[in-house]
Amino acid sequence: MNIGQFLAIFISAVFVYNVILSRFLGLCSFIAISKQTKPALAMSLAVMFVTTMSSVITWFIYRFLLIPFNITYLRTIAFILVIATFVQLVEMIIKKISPPLYRFFGIYLPLITVNCAVLGVAVLNIDMFFVNGKAIEGSFYYSLFQGICVGIGYTIAMLLMSGIRERLDFCDIPKCVKDFPLAFIIASIMSMSFMGFNGFKF
Amino acid sequence: MNKLTVSYSPHLHTNQSCAKIMWSVFASLLPAGIAAIFIFGAAALWVILLGVISALVTEGLLQYFNKKKITLSDGSAALTGLLLSYNLPANSPWWLVVIGSFFSVFIGKQIFGGLGQNIFNPALVGRVFLMTCWPKYMTNFMKPLDAGINFFKSFNYDAVTAATPLMMAKEGKAVIDISYWDLFLGKHGGCLGEVCILALLAGALFLLLKKYISWHIPIIYIATVGVFSWIFGSKGLFSGDFLFSILSGGLILGAFFMATDYVTSPLTRKGQAIFAAGCGILTVVIRLWGGYPEGVSYAILMMNAATPIIDRYTKNRIFGR
Amino acid sequence: MKFDSKEFIKGLIKENPTFVLALGLCPTLAVSTALTNGLGMGIAATFVLIGSNIFISLIKNIVPDKIRIPCYIVVIATFVTITELFMKAYSPALNRALGIYVPLIVVNCIVLGRAEAYASKSSVSNSIMDALGMGLGFTLALLLISGIREILGLGTFFGYKIIKSYEPMFIFALPSGALLVIGLLMGFLNLLKNKKT
Repeated sequence: MNIGQFLAIFISAVFVYNVILSRFLGLCSFIAISKQTKPALAMSLAVMFVTTMSSVITWFIYRFLLIPFNITYLRTIAFILVIATFVQLVEMIIKKISPPLYRFFGIYLPLITVNCAVLGVAVLNIDMFFVNGKAIEGSFYYSLFQGICVGIGYTIAMLLMSGIRERLDFCDIPKCVKDFPLAFIIASIMSMSFMGFNGFKF
Repeated sequence: MNKLTVSYSPHLHTNQSCAKIMWSVFASLLPAGIAAIFIFGAAALWVILLGVISALVTEGLLQYFNKKKITLSDGSAALTGLLLSYNLPANSPWWLVVIGSFFSVFIGKQIFGGLGQNIFNPALVGRVFLMTCWPKYMTNFMKPLDAGINFFKSFNYDAVTAATPLMMAKEGKAVIDISYWDLFLGKHGGCLGEVCILALLAGALFLLLKKYISWHIPIIYIATVGVFSWIFGSKGLFSGDFLFSILSGGLILGAFFMATDYVTSPLTRKGQAIFAAGCGILTVVIRLWGGYPEGVSYAILMMNAATPIIDRYTKNRIFGR
Repeated sequence: MKFDSKEFIKGLIKENPTFVLALGLCPTLAVSTALTNGLGMGIAATFVLIGSNIFISLIKNIVPDKIRIPCYIVVIATFVTITELFMKAYSPALNRALGIYVPLIVVNCIVLGRAEAYASKSSVSNSIMDALGMGLGFTLALLLISGIREILGLGTFFGYKIIKSYEPMFIFALPSGALLVIGLLMGFLNLLKNKKT
């Protein structure tokens, strides 16, 4: 466990393998909610919170439940159930604390459950930080950190995109690429520019 | 929604037309092109002409098919083509230049609705696209012509390839054999428009004196790169060769001619400072620790993406609120 | 049982899950680097779609309304696990190529979307037709995108080189190329639609 490893995880999760622009996880919400900055930011923070927490929870479940009982093939089912329960909890809390925010998310808050980013980071942690069914040294901290970084990557992509799309409202865009197609093309250019960090070595 | 109170660049409030500015920038870039033709011979002239012409053709065709007014005379397409060709090696194959120009004008500009509405610098979109498509051709730089071979003898010249100073620095080779003076005059491998710093500075000075660009973005950008390269030198902290990092690569071309684009950079001074510092930091990070030897184009593109968000948070307060 | 062909055909073009409904884009973009990967993902997703649609349509009257989503997810996850184990056993190469995107079929919006919007309200026979149509529509979209990406990005078609002197445009083998292809394709489809009306 060293600083270099953490930095590598950061650059890789935020830029090179950005959860949206390179791994395409959470793309649906990215395209649908990024029309304005405020809801985009709220959504990003919610996702960041959920990816972090679910990284922690799924790590414990995998390490102390699935491995000892030798039922690692139930990974997908176990993870999605835990995440669904957890998201339900978050949903209830938001509903209680901020009804306007809740109304803004519409159908997308329940869909955090099926936001690929959340399950994706859990599966990715297991693939990266468990070797032959054993946790590598510092695995828990790496998982936690990767959860946070994936959330940061999501937030950055979301924030940039929402800023750009807000500005596009005032532009005379050809009719056939309005909305979705142009959003994809902008995402493509952003993804190209993040390629600049390819091969990052510290 | 207060749709009427928000406006985006370019804000042209003097009697200068958009076309006049575009053609002035175009003219200010010409010295660097002439220098490139001196350094690399006829190949450079060929790339420049091809870049400009194919950009003009693309723009004209797209506007024709979209049934829009054809605005080739505003100079923006010509400028995009010129800037793109300056970002290519002098020995690029013809199709590389044509595809790059087409992509710059089509995806970089027209798909957003044309001049003044693009988010990213079109020429850089084209360059980064080519860089991802054919890295082999984009990093295969021509060595400057040997002494004794002038422009007219260079038509049948077999190009010899050479590494750029930044590539040598990245591989850890000593670059002592290139003096600052050679870097300044452009006697080394590199993209054709970025090598001759002297010619670029002459053009930039013209733009600054005419007040077509302000000094804020370029100077802050270059200073940031200098300071960070000095701090994180290869032989330990505070030992970097900052003059070398400023004079090599596409920094001068990028800082004066591409980062200052009205449409894709922030409006307020504060926003511009953030933008320029961001460009500088990203450039140094990519140069020192990234996989590519040069990061100017990636850095500017990333900050282009951040421009609307920077604008949003640095916008001047509307009085009376 | 009566099978309605209308339920089948709508998934192909009119309600194509990828281009019209814009659902399930993550796997569409991530695995479409080559035609074989696209085909494998299409078949796997179609299998899960059929299995879960049948099952959910069967249990639709038993499940209490409040906890229906978790129930659906468990059903889907079961079918995904079956697919994953099958793939690991019979086609490990494909499993490696698709990577984390196999378990991620669970959260593919198409599957849950059809379960919630269609199977939970319709008869078993119609649900089968719906699943077949949606699955096929998804597979076709995947084949289209992966075909474009493989030809441009690698210069091959199902692994065979087509033109010798072609210099592959490497970007189309990368994520940014995938985003570009789907953006331009959607724009092109809109252009055709606007022309018609």
